[in-house]
Amino acid sequence: MLEMKNIAKIYRTEAIATHALRDFDLSVADGEFVTVTGPSGSGKTTFLNIAGLLEDPTDGTYKLDGEEVGQLNDRAKSRIRNEKIGFIFQSFNLIPDLDVTDNIDVPLRYRGLPGAERSKRIRDALEIVGLASRQHHLPSQLSGGQQQRVAIARALAGRPRFLLADEPTGNLDSEMASQVIALLDDINAQGTTIIMVTHDMSLAGHGGREVRLLDGRLASPDDAETLAATGTGV
Amino acid sequence: MPDLEIRPILGTMRRNPVGAILIALQVAFTLGVVANSLFIINDRIGLINRPTGFDIDNIVTVQSTLLDDPADKLQQVRTDIEALEAIPGVIAATSVTQLPLSNSGSGTELFASADPNAPEVNGARFTMTETGLDAMGLTLAEGRWFREDEIKLPSTYGDPINVVIVTRVMADALFPDGNALGATVYDHLRRPVTLIGIVEHMQGSWISWQHLDNNIFTPQVPMQRFARYVIRTEPGSLDQVMSQVEPTLAATEPRRIVQRLRPYSEIRDRTYTEHRAMAIMLGVVSVLLIIVTAVGIVGLVSFVVRQRTRQIGTRRAIGAQRLHIVRYFLVENWLMTTGGAIVGMALAFGVNYWLANLFSLPRLDPWYLPAGLVILWLVGLLSVFAPARRAARISPAIATRGAAL
Ligand SMILES: Nc1ncnc2c1ncn2[C@@H]1O[C@H](COP(=O)(O)OP(=O)(O)O)[C@@H](O)[C@H]1O
Ligand SMILES: [Mg+2]
Repeated sequence: MLEMKNIAKIYRTEAIATHALRDFDLSVADGEFVTVTGPSGSGKTTFLNIAGLLEDPTDGTYKLDGEEVGQLNDRAKSRIRNEKIGFIFQSFNLIPDLDVTDNIDVPLRYRGLPGAERSKRIRDALEIVGLASRQHHLPSQLSGGQQQRVAIARALAGRPRFLLADEPTGNLDSEMASQVIALLDDINAQGTTIIMVTHDMSLAGHGGREVRLLDGRLASPDDAETLAATGTGV
Repeated sequence: MPDLEIRPILGTMRRNPVGAILIALQVAFTLGVVANSLFIINDRIGLINRPTGFDIDNIVTVQSTLLDDPADKLQQVRTDIEALEAIPGVIAATSVTQLPLSNSGSGTELFASADPNAPEVNGARFTMTETGLDAMGLTLAEGRWFREDEIKLPSTYGDPINVVIVTRVMADALFPDGNALGATVYDHLRRPVTLIGIVEHMQGSWISWQHLDNNIFTPQVPMQRFARYVIRTEPGSLDQVMSQVEPTLAATEPRRIVQRLRPYSEIRDRTYTEHRAMAIMLGVVSVLLIIVTAVGIVGLVSFVVRQRTRQIGTRRAIGAQRLHIVRYFLVENWLMTTGGAIVGMALAFGVNYWLANLFSLPRLDPWYLPAGLVILWLVGLLSVFAPARRAARISPAIATRGAAL
């Protein structure tokens, strides 16, 4: 359960103040698959960064799992990112010098899991994304779609409550993109809450619920109010 | 036990070895030089700080040359000594022919028996008066010092003497079984002399001589117009006494040249000039090398942090605490430093072994190698700390906002 109220984010530079988000309210129930759409520059990434505790809002309150997260210190936020949230980035963000296994291992080491548990989780996650045979490849030896699947495995291995994806198909061709979307659907079907940001209108409303951003505001107020009880979907 | 990520760090280093190798080589070289330098510096400081056996910090020396041949040189010397001892703050004064630690002087030899095959025992020779023990601040271990009636004006320093005093090391060299005191020893012409006293310790003339501590005292005053005086002062009175020496000597006999009035410590310092210069030079070289190494590490880590900005942001996004980021760079650098240091320790040992054999230099005490290792660990950790902290401040938002991975 994720709940944002009156969230605002202002980027101030010497010359201008950009209102990247304003008066933003959103509730996401457990198990939902929400797509956040909007044109470039409308504040989608800003929203996702705040949702994922990568940035602090300028104003407003944000509760994750019932916990007010705005006041937490850096260490506590790092823990939440590590334990409750899985991230999928547009450009995959795999660590180029680590092979597939070690990439997936990174967040598990931060959590301090014992080696045997980490190995098991890595195997399971690779099984889910269908890359068990590539465990010793470097990112540079994989296609974009495979890299994104490794990134998804890295997010899944932490068994997060929330999966946050920023344009996960933005750097992929359409075939690879549909593989990735199908994978996210499967994951959502297993109960993980997914919030996916995209400017690809063909994916709008994909998971059953769409939130549209325009110029830092919700474009259709209904979406914010409606706690769509759907979430599992094709 | 926290997860230090050693295996993935080593893997990353293996894939990008250039920076790590450069740092490791620099560390190896620095460790080799620093360990050897510390060893030599310590060795030199040890030499300089060897106990002298006399009260070096409270002694003034001076040299006097009479303009005319004295009618009675022995009396002249006695008058000078009495006048010098009358200066307030003076404990005692004596005449000497040569000064310990001056790197100049003359030596002679003694024999434990008249047997022509008896081994000769070499020592430097110091002529002193009955006040010599107090004027030098020596410690008498056994027997007695010279009496006033034993002091002679020799016609040459080879004149026969009746009594002699030696340092303990010299006594033990003459009589390894002990019982030196009261024994008859034989001078360079095999003339018998009675050994009346043993001085606990005094360093002799030549600091590099293996028998520096073998010293012979004879009861004589300097010949002809020349005399040198050793004046021992109460602690703290040295400067004040020094200002009185020339006027005092001028008052007893104005027709003379007074030269080389100086604190004894100056004589020692001048004798050890090269040792000290060597120690300082090696110290400066070591410090400079350490600075160069530190700058190299700071530079490399700063470069790597900038290069990996996106990666660090991503690590933060997926759950790294700032501590994890700092620790990553500390461990990475620690591995490089340790790798280099192991090579450096082996090289330092090998090069020293080779040099020691070639030039018969002292063999490196192996403890300087781990000491060098610890120094370079500290240099490494301190150098990494600032750029690693900068890395830890990289925003996790970088992960979604771009920058090179
Ligand atoms: N760090 C930043 N500093 C200043 N302006 C920013 C920063 N990040 C984003 N912005 C601005 O905020 C607005 C929203 O950006 P973003 O959330 O990235 O949009 P989207 O992801 O929908 O393309 C844009 O106008 C963008 O230029
Ligand atoms: Mg964006």
